[in-house]
Amino acid sequence: MMALMVWGTSSNAGKTVMCSIICRHLKRKGVDVVPFKGSNLSLNSYVTDSGAEIGMGQALQAWACGMEPEADMNPVLLKPEGKGSIQYVVHGSIYGDGRSKPDRSLLLKEACVSFDRLSDVHDAVICEGSGSPSEINLMKGDIANIGMVRERDMNVILVGDIERGGMFAAVYGTWLLTPKDIRDRLKGFIINRFRGDPSVLRSGIEQIESLTGMRCIGIMQYAPDIMLPEEDTVSGHVAGSGRFDDIRKVYDDSLDRLTDMAEDSLDMDLLDSLI
Amino acid sequence: MSANGRGKAIMVLGTTSDAGKSMMTMAICRILSDMGYSVCPFKSQNMSLNAKPTSCGHEISMIQELQCMAARTEPTFRVNPILLKPACDMKSQVVVEGKVFGTYDVSGYYDDFIPNHSFGIVKNNLDELLSRFDYVVMEGAGSPAEINIYDSDIANMGAAKMADADCILVTNVEWGGSFAYLLGTIMLIPEDDRKRIKAVIYNNLRGSPDSIKEGATMIEEMTGIPVLGIVPHISNRLPNEDSECFRNIKETGTGSTVIGVIRVPRIANFTDLDPLYGEDVTVRFVTEPSELDTCDAIVLPGTKNTTSDLRWVKESGIGDKIVSMKGKVPILGICGGYQMLGRMLSDPDGREDPSIKEIEGLGLLDVVTEWGDGDKVTVRNEGTFLKTGEPVKGYQIHLARSKVNGPPLFRIESGDEGCCDDENMVYGTYLHGILEKPAFRRFFLDRIRPGLAKESVYDEYDVNLEAEIAKVTACVKDSIDMELFRRTFMGVE
Repeated sequence: MMALMVWGTSSNAGKTVMCSIICRHLKRKGVDVVPFKGSNLSLNSYVTDSGAEIGMGQALQAWACGMEPEADMNPVLLKPEGKGSIQYVVHGSIYGDGRSKPDRSLLLKEACVSFDRLSDVHDAVICEGSGSPSEINLMKGDIANIGMVRERDMNVILVGDIERGGMFAAVYGTWLLTPKDIRDRLKGFIINRFRGDPSVLRSGIEQIESLTGMRCIGIMQYAPDIMLPEEDTVSGHVAGSGRFDDIRKVYDDSLDRLTDMAEDSLDMDLLDSLI
Repeated sequence: MSANGRGKAIMVLGTTSDAGKSMMTMAICRILSDMGYSVCPFKSQNMSLNAKPTSCGHEISMIQELQCMAARTEPTFRVNPILLKPACDMKSQVVVEGKVFGTYDVSGYYDDFIPNHSFGIVKNNLDELLSRFDYVVMEGAGSPAEINIYDSDIANMGAAKMADADCILVTNVEWGGSFAYLLGTIMLIPEDDRKRIKAVIYNNLRGSPDSIKEGATMIEEMTGIPVLGIVPHISNRLPNEDSECFRNIKETGTGSTVIGVIRVPRIANFTDLDPLYGEDVTVRFVTEPSELDTCDAIVLPGTKNTTSDLRWVKESGIGDKIVSMKGKVPILGICGGYQMLGRMLSDPDGREDPSIKEIEGLGLLDVVTEWGDGDKVTVRNEGTFLKTGEPVKGYQIHLARSKVNGPPLFRIESGDEGCCDDENMVYGTYLHGILEKPAFRRFFLDRIRPGLAKESVYDEYDVNLEAEIAKVTACVKDSIDMELFRRTFMGVE
């Protein structure tokens, strides 16, 4: 069984799309690949053919794999209801009576059940983290990031968003704050949303590589006109203004273009070797 | 001021762009001014398309102008001696000490301008300010931990060293990962410079501070750098610095009347629209013709590059759409938008965009604009709105000159200004900030629908800004440890 975890230095760093790209890349190579996100905090959900509710990001990733979304791809979905209240969706259905708050360790166990079911049947599982893995105040109850990496055997790569600046600091800081027992699982990082001539980054990349031992897998250029559904709770952008008859086809074309871009600009051999 | 006749420098750094540096710098300026000190803001290098002329006609970033207001000092070019205005083809116009210095691409900027010019410019202006003010509150740019260009960074630790500044590092908690951003920033800065970082601020928190206190304490233990404060999200109507703020924003406001602002690629001085946010309207940023269908008025804003943005307006179909709405809804063009409303724009030397020597305007006003060899106009103006005789004020920043064949809108110091076709409700002016005073704003809103303009709100935009500064400062002051601030940054035992 092959697996890879993709973490981000912040929300909206580009994890969801990067996982979709890796899924599409593996599918092109003929690998039987599925997406997975242990726990997702999102109001944008998708209902699978069997009526299970999962995060929109995992639906997109399933399509990237050429398959239909399934409940196991996102076993825990947290839907903020305002005023600090959260609805828990577990294995695609509302947990308990909709008011009870499940224990974090139970949720992690359920996430592992789903992960195992997927990995039993498929060749590769591409896992997405949630938010930043370095929220040190929340680490104990973490499911999607540190939780899954501790529970199941997989390498981790980090996506750093360079658009707002401070990306080197974010990558280094995330590495520093990753608990020592799993830090050597962090093998590489991808610089996302870069504009301009990548050669200006070289000295910075070398410093981060030598400080952490992680390898830079490559630089993704900013892609402004990509049409994909928004998963994130932070961003207000709503894709799909009704101009297209079949939005799925638009997503699919966008994914193909992004995957072409990634296969051109990232070290795919290095990436493949980590999965 | 200290015995050596030199003021004290405090610097606000951020872990990213949009961390809240500008706002924090502004608040600290006001806090120190309220204590009776003479205070001045400073940002050595600012990349922004929102600029404003000083009373001497020097162009500085809008946000430093606002910080001067908070510091209660008259803005001069020294507060922002280097201003980068992104133009086209990944090049920027570099404004030094308020006047155009040259145009650079990225490598020209780092290989020529930075080593050969920047250090002297920053040092001279900092020294001058430090000799005149008790406190200079400096704002960094972007992140100070861009290790690939660390030695060229005159906007962050480079400037901090020159001024011997004590630094505050601000992080925006909104996107998550703020502990990593903070720790990584601190640890990537070389030790000698790291010592200057005396405190950190967690900014823009929505929710209870308890949620991050535990993590903040852990970072404090790891770095030895104390937490100055956890500052909540402060909703305010202060002008925004850069276009970061509307990366994802399509609409602002909740009014049923919709004003469509054409979101041209190089939109500049979009703070012109801020006074509308207090009115009963929704401001919609338009990038497609169909979005204009339900608009009750159209604003073509300023741009750093009129000719290439005009080409975009036409190619997107928005141009034809605007023309088709002539006479149906009021149309206002400001600066570059005004030029676009005219008949013809000629730029024989390609000063805006080398590939466009001449381009037809939308033809809604009888105005012809030409880029000659004249200097950039950077001037503040006062005058009257000719329809009502009421006072107006504004400022101009433009390179081209326009020949107007139509009734003017305003009379300012230099004579007639702007142009209108009132019958068809088309208005154009070079005056940025023209909506700040009530006279023209009310007129424009009433042309949409009589009675739309609010009576009481925003009569005087300056007064409102002053209230906003006071409000934001009070909130920051409540959220930070003033004891620690006095001890660490003011040397008070």
